[in-house]
Amino acid sequence: ESILSQIRSFEYSQKNVVLVSTATLGVGGMLVYWLRSRHKIKTIEMGDGWWGSGERPLKGKEDESIRPFKIETSDKEIEDLHRRLEQARYTPPLEGAAFHYGFNSSYLQKVVAYWRNKFDWRKQVEVLNKYPHFQTTIEGIDIHFIHVKPSYVPHGRAVQPLLMVHGWPGSFYEFYKIIPLLTEPAAHGLNEGDVVFEVICPSIPGYGFSEAPHQKGFDTVATARIFHKLMNRLGFKEYYLQGGDWGSRITTNMAQMLPQSVKGLHLNLIFVNKQGLRRMISVMLGAYVPWLVGLSREDVRRMYPFIQKNIYELLRESGYLHIQATKPDTAGCGLNDSPVGLAAYILEKFSTWTDKSFLHQDDGGLESKYSLDELLTNVMIYWVTSSIVSSMRFYKENISKDPGLTADARVGVYVPTGIAAFPQEIVHTPHVWAKKIFKNIITYSYMPRGGHFAAFEEPKLLAQDIMHFVRKVEQL
Amino acid sequence: CSSSAGIMLLEVFLVLGTVIIYFLLSKKKEETLPFKEGWWGRGQKPDTEEDTTIWPFKVETTEEELSDLFRRLDQARFTEPLENSCFHYGTNSVYLRKVVSYWKNQFNWKKQVEVLNKYPQFKTKIQGIDIHFVHVKPPHLPEGQSAKPLLMVHGWPGSFYEFYKIIPLLTDPASHGLSDEHVFEVICPSIPGYGFSEAPHKKDFNSVSAASIFYELMLRLGFKEFYAQGGDWGWLICTNLAQIAPNHMKGLHLNLASVTKMGFIHLLSILLGRYLPGLFGFQDEDVRRMFPFLKKGLYRILLESGYAHIQATKPDTVGCGLNDSPVGLAAYILEKFSTWTDLEFRNLEDGGLGRKFDLDDLLTNIMIYWVSGSIVSSMRFYKENLQKGIGTQKHERLTVQVPTGIASFPNEVMHTPQAWAQKKYTNIVSFHFMPQGGHFAALEEPELLAEDILQFVGKVEKEQLWRKK
Repeated sequence: ESILSQIRSFEYSQKNVVLVSTATLGVGGMLVYWLRSRHKIKTIEMGDGWWGSGERPLKGKEDESIRPFKIETSDKEIEDLHRRLEQARYTPPLEGAAFHYGFNSSYLQKVVAYWRNKFDWRKQVEVLNKYPHFQTTIEGIDIHFIHVKPSYVPHGRAVQPLLMVHGWPGSFYEFYKIIPLLTEPAAHGLNEGDVVFEVICPSIPGYGFSEAPHQKGFDTVATARIFHKLMNRLGFKEYYLQGGDWGSRITTNMAQMLPQSVKGLHLNLIFVNKQGLRRMISVMLGAYVPWLVGLSREDVRRMYPFIQKNIYELLRESGYLHIQATKPDTAGCGLNDSPVGLAAYILEKFSTWTDKSFLHQDDGGLESKYSLDELLTNVMIYWVTSSIVSSMRFYKENISKDPGLTADARVGVYVPTGIAAFPQEIVHTPHVWAKKIFKNIITYSYMPRGGHFAAFEEPKLLAQDIMHFVRKVEQL
Repeated sequence: CSSSAGIMLLEVFLVLGTVIIYFLLSKKKEETLPFKEGWWGRGQKPDTEEDTTIWPFKVETTEEELSDLFRRLDQARFTEPLENSCFHYGTNSVYLRKVVSYWKNQFNWKKQVEVLNKYPQFKTKIQGIDIHFVHVKPPHLPEGQSAKPLLMVHGWPGSFYEFYKIIPLLTDPASHGLSDEHVFEVICPSIPGYGFSEAPHKKDFNSVSAASIFYELMLRLGFKEFYAQGGDWGWLICTNLAQIAPNHMKGLHLNLASVTKMGFIHLLSILLGRYLPGLFGFQDEDVRRMFPFLKKGLYRILLESGYAHIQATKPDTVGCGLNDSPVGLAAYILEKFSTWTDLEFRNLEDGGLGRKFDLDDLLTNIMIYWVSGSIVSSMRFYKENLQKGIGTQKHERLTVQVPTGIASFPNEVMHTPQAWAQKKYTNIVSFHFMPQGGHFAALEEPELLAEDILQFVGKVEKEQLWRKK
């Protein structure tokens, strides 16, 4: 009050000085605040969690040891499997149905015959064990991962840590063909210069040999946090991430959570949520004047006819997603009890998501891109660990919430990002839409061939794109 | 002055024109649905005349069938539910274990087979496939009365067995404390692909195909006029039957009356119906059951329709494991008997299954799917009916002029108000809000349903409404 009365008693010119200086201070202050806040990137909160059974123990620190792990099997396990395969009951397909009604049971019988008589699970277990496996307890559950280091590092070459995350219905096994291309590129004719990786492939909790969460609410954000803790425990401060399917969303969350730890993020699938009026208009215009809305010719080729590819086909292929996001325990129950049912359910995806035209083939085109041994090994991982139900629960935990309200909905991704767009991926996301979320896209590649299971189907193409991306990031 | 007269004239013409166009268009909707010819047997249709004999059928079982079942029940692998999840993630496996234990140790399939066989069953070949049905005649008829034929059609995941409690109330009402003014002979067929009816071998077997086959069945049994009753798929099949053969159907009774053709008016009534119910013809009970619409309509449908989505797109995939694992089959089917009876049951650890149903009845229904190996073919019906989308088929645009009675049960997953139903069912004779009960009305509330059927038939017969179409 006294100050005000003092100011009031000032001369006119002095009042001016006060006014101007206050104004300058005010504007200057706002400018500084604005500049600083622009540099402060919005991140997802890390938070914490407990997924073990019962209450979280109050005392005692979590056991942080990293224990070597080996996959094992037994005669009992194999006999039980064989018995179930032998007693399988099939329903003959409709005449001319091919794969249009789902997995064709005539072809399924052939697969099961191979499974029963030729597939050698003991041999496949040895194949699985060729890379070092480990387990460690984080937030109350055992996390399984493989950790492959290059056997030989040329002098002066830096080894980049790379975390690769699988999805559904895949597993860590999907990366078995691409790992050697990344840890020993030169030995595989990939003389892409100077990039060499040590690869860590964890199993998402609830999948394969990672323990399933016992509590509700285990979503991609929790997974992201757990994987950050894993990398930290392994001694890494900065690392690269690669992912497709759920792995894409998990690694994206990781980049949104701790951008300072993520040197680069490489994705072979993007989830872009924000649909809105603007998106609809851009879709409609894109059919006639794609260049006006930032779509390339290849984008148009992959995305149009829009209703057919993005609505009709998506509806046709998303039944599994709908039931898993609402009733996972029901959907998975029979599959955990019938290996034939499990194989039909999982292998249907390896057919349709690899190439949409495989629907018209009586054998779903499965063996044109994959061997039965590798397909069945992936199925066996779900079978021997009884993890199909917990793998499906991941859909409910991540999808039932209102997409606009999730923690990651409004947070952008600022770490250097590389996108490999495969032509037979379920849904194509053009660069111009990806930019809305991924603010720092370093590479965006239209891959010449390949579908959803990129690492499994086209390991060399994917490895080359990863290395191309990482080289660019390292040069920055 | 002349200009205003001119404007008035224009207005009159516009109104007249609209009225004429409306009538022209609506006249189109009164066309009947054509009978759907078909041949669903294996391979090529033979040149010979179809065998039209009707032969008696009995459900049978063997020791081998039972020991195979027990072996599978013994080797079942369960996954522990999440803590405090009740039935929110689907069938709770802790409860499922109890069911399986009962199934193995107390459930007596041989005895249940005798229960199934207490009503006469038959089979006959129509359009290339064997059609199974139950045919129950009244044990005795009051003086001067004849039994009225009543076709009752089940749905998914039900079967002809759902009607076993209501059949006696309709064939012998007097012995059950009901008026015997009308006595029925009941025919409950199994939809092709369900239970003991052969599954079609060809693609494209939809509700109109089923209705056509059941129409032939009724004709073959010698019925020129009959009543039809249905819920779930039975609703749609009986509706199609009313559209194919309106002159043979005296009345149509439904315990589900979905509206698949939604228009602008429906949208408007969803937005404003809560505030201006009278404007849209909503009664208080309609508002109570339908609003808030997001919660009771849209979200509920999304939450509960995953099964329909996957069955309408990949039936052979989703059914495969269920035909191989009886426990998986039970989990899948029981979930519906829980949630569709009362949505609140999702909050219960046992899904409320023991409250409204006998475990013996539930397992008998499941066993029908199991012993006939029909789960996959039952699911294909969804694809054949829904694959082009909802609201796109010809019969969805046609109306029904047959006298209709609707019993609207409160716990049905989605409520259809009379205001919407009457756009399709133009001759609604009775529409009642039932006091209790859910989707499986015949099994859960047989008395309530029987009473409603009886009063509906009473109205139709008293005024001979079928003649006035």
